[in-house]
Amino acid sequence: MKLRIRTVFASVCAAFGLAAGTASAQMPEWEAKLYEAAKKEKEFTVYTAHYNTEEAANICAAFEKKYPGVKCNFVRTTAQVAFQRLNQDLQAKRPVASVFSSTDVSHYPALRKMGALMQYKPNNWDKMVDSLKEYSDPEHYSVTTAAALMLITYNTSLVSEADAPKNWPDLLDPKWKDKVSIGHPAFSGYVGTWVVLMRKLYGWEYFEKLEKNNPQIGRSVNDTVTMLNAKERWVAAGPEATTLMSRDKGNPLAVIYPTDGALLMVSPSSVLANAPSPNAGKLYIEFLLSKEAAETQVKNHALSVVKGVAVGPGKKPLEEIKVARPTADEIAKGIPEVKEKFRDTFGI
Amino acid sequence: MSTVNPPASAAGRPASLGERLRHIDRSYWVWLLAIAVLVVLVVNPLVRLLLVSFQDADGAFTLANYVSAYGRSRHIDALLNSLTLGLASATLCVIFGVPMAWALSRTDMPFKGLIWISILGTFIIPPYLGAVGWILLAGPNAGWLNRAFMALTGADSGPFNIYSMTGLVLVIACYSFPYVFVFTKSALDLVSSEMEDAANILGAGNLRTTFSITLPLALPAIIGAFILVFLEAIALFGSPALLALPGRFHVVTTQLWQFFEFPPRVGVASAYAMPLLGITILLFWLQRRIISRKGYVSLTGKGGERRPVALGKWRWPMLGFCLAVCTLSFFMPMVVIVQAATAKAWGRGFSLDNFTLENLYFTMFENNLTRDATINTFTYAGGASIIAIVLSLCIAYAVNRNLVGKRLGNTLSFLTMAPFVIPGIVLAIGFYAAYANPPFALYGTAWILVLAFATRFLPIAYTNSSAAIRSINPELEDAVRILGGSRFTAIWRVVMPLLKRSLAGAFILVFIPATRELSAAIFLYSIDTQVLSVLLFDKSDEGNFEMLASIGLILVFITVALILIGFRLMGRDFMLRRTSA
Repeated sequence: MKLRIRTVFASVCAAFGLAAGTASAQMPEWEAKLYEAAKKEKEFTVYTAHYNTEEAANICAAFEKKYPGVKCNFVRTTAQVAFQRLNQDLQAKRPVASVFSSTDVSHYPALRKMGALMQYKPNNWDKMVDSLKEYSDPEHYSVTTAAALMLITYNTSLVSEADAPKNWPDLLDPKWKDKVSIGHPAFSGYVGTWVVLMRKLYGWEYFEKLEKNNPQIGRSVNDTVTMLNAKERWVAAGPEATTLMSRDKGNPLAVIYPTDGALLMVSPSSVLANAPSPNAGKLYIEFLLSKEAAETQVKNHALSVVKGVAVGPGKKPLEEIKVARPTADEIAKGIPEVKEKFRDTFGI
Repeated sequence: MSTVNPPASAAGRPASLGERLRHIDRSYWVWLLAIAVLVVLVVNPLVRLLLVSFQDADGAFTLANYVSAYGRSRHIDALLNSLTLGLASATLCVIFGVPMAWALSRTDMPFKGLIWISILGTFIIPPYLGAVGWILLAGPNAGWLNRAFMALTGADSGPFNIYSMTGLVLVIACYSFPYVFVFTKSALDLVSSEMEDAANILGAGNLRTTFSITLPLALPAIIGAFILVFLEAIALFGSPALLALPGRFHVVTTQLWQFFEFPPRVGVASAYAMPLLGITILLFWLQRRIISRKGYVSLTGKGGERRPVALGKWRWPMLGFCLAVCTLSFFMPMVVIVQAATAKAWGRGFSLDNFTLENLYFTMFENNLTRDATINTFTYAGGASIIAIVLSLCIAYAVNRNLVGKRLGNTLSFLTMAPFVIPGIVLAIGFYAAYANPPFALYGTAWILVLAFATRFLPIAYTNSSAAIRSINPELEDAVRILGGSRFTAIWRVVMPLLKRSLAGAFILVFIPATRELSAAIFLYSIDTQVLSVLLFDKSDEGNFEMLASIGLILVFITVALILIGFRLMGRDFMLRRTSA
């Protein structure tokens, strides 16, 4: 028995070694070089707010499969906490993370001002979906590595498809009084961006009217998923990916692409200037712009940032969805403003 | 009151320093060491906080932080809400906890074991997990209780709304009353029946005896526990974030969170946390006023048989009360959590085809993250408990036996209690500011978590140790010393054996909260030092309630198992013991 396990183990190792050998043989020169340098660094850590824990683990696993010998560690938190940790590390001069992936775009200019970001244009840049390139930093201190949608979600056991809201102002209909769920812009980068978009499209009256419908206000945008599942609320301004993952398990949820535009959330990643493993960090950024990473993300209902990756079953491809997104400036300036106004209107 | 003064020189003349050092009780070095540790754990981080509250971004002196912290009515409202919350929760905790402690300690009520296990279970459930359970039970639209009410009465809406101050008070009381219960029970366990017999003989009935003899003897423990739960209630972050925000009101901790938004305003946060320290000082002053100049010594070494009070026909109503509290705090939320943990999709409710063990299996066996976090959680909690108990015991002994002088003693007890009122987030910042950099360079290591946990729960250990030591008559130790034994001998051979049960209780009281501690952990953990509470918190904003419930359930099971094993190893099931010590 012992012998058999050992034999199996040995042959598995051999298979992996072989696979690795062929993989690096097929690599373009820049990639092989980066991989060699990364192997010397052995491991690296990414602070990420882009995914949930499972997805972050899946992406790391996919990375380690493609690049054996480089260990991928991740700390997954919300954007604010990730940023707080990074600041702590910087102040203590004890760098842990080599890559920083936040969902709050205002973090990047602040970090750049502190000299904390490394300028790096990925070799895989051309693989990025063209429509997403405009959202990426033109000077390459950060690069777009994740994209997802925020839209209207509902509980199918309480609301029929015909009755469900079709666009954002439909949420203001008095028939949804006490039945709407939203997140809080002070906790969630998604919600903050969404509030900026609504203010841009419909003015602040949108929230004054929404307040009359007495929405349930959670923290994270994902809290809306919990509220719909609990049947505490019927409709929500929620995230596409988490809602559909919960639906996949069999929960009675569905999403609606608003006719006036789903909110497109794009989130960048940066290699850090003081990265303990700069080469592994760069390799990870390249990986996030590769087919393997995109396929893992698509499985979790996020959008692919890489061209030519098919969307999951029962989902619309990005080209067919009307999306809207405030400009980077509007977001960076708008989020602090709308947080304050939101508190005035909703009292919290 | 018997006091042991440091030995003066024989002739009564003032002793020279060298002479005093030579004659000094060797145990003094232990107290000095304890004080030094206290400086590291409490004083240094607190001083840093105080300094930061008066500093601007460049480190220059400013009062602007205080202006920002108190310049808005919203911020003041949050402070007042926290006071209401603290007082109401602590009162409800006493209403829940004291009768149950009396029933389990002093009466012949049936099914004590069941009640004890339920209370233990309640204590282990992280409060925010319980809060999620309660959202499902008493959500205004779809809560099970509201739906049941509507089905029974035909009304359009149910009466319960968990998103309210009342709801928050109930949820916090449900998960804090075990403190009151354990403190009161361990005090009552020490009251001998002879004192009650004396009252009985003088004609008092059972009820009158209980209220005029038994409960007053436990008063220091009850007041100590009241203060603890008050402080716990105003320092919690998880439950208010889940319940107060949708209920449209703020408390201190949710308000503090906003000061940590980008760009984080640590100075303002520190300034905002200062009144909490003031409240702690006030409470301790009150406690001293109430219990000073009365004797609470109940463990004298002179006999002390303990017989249960026969409740007669009142046994069943008493059991009913205990079961009602446990139903609110444990059974009902556990049903919700177990359902979610074993559901393919918890939104579909109860049905056989929705049942799966996959979530639990995945959490336990396939997820390295959960496995490592589980090991870390219990190791750190154990380490923190031991540090907190040894330290608090030294200080409680030194203070109660007047070994360090009255003023220093008061300062020491205040410092030992102070960490509890500092919200975990703020304590973490203080710890970070004090120990992240060289020479300590603890950031990223397990030590910073262990020490932060030990500091955070030091007050619980201290309240418990102090109440326990206060109940031991110093004459017992004097006897040893008169017979020539040293103070160490007295402590080791007399005090420790008498304290064994209280210490085990104190260990559990520190260990359990340390396994579920969130607010400090979230700032101090690193990739190799993940703990379960942080994983749980991450799940709570991932909308993945099936996994959240699975991890919560595993945390509850492992903790119960560890504690039961601990009891076995202690040689007997001391919490259920009925007769004499």
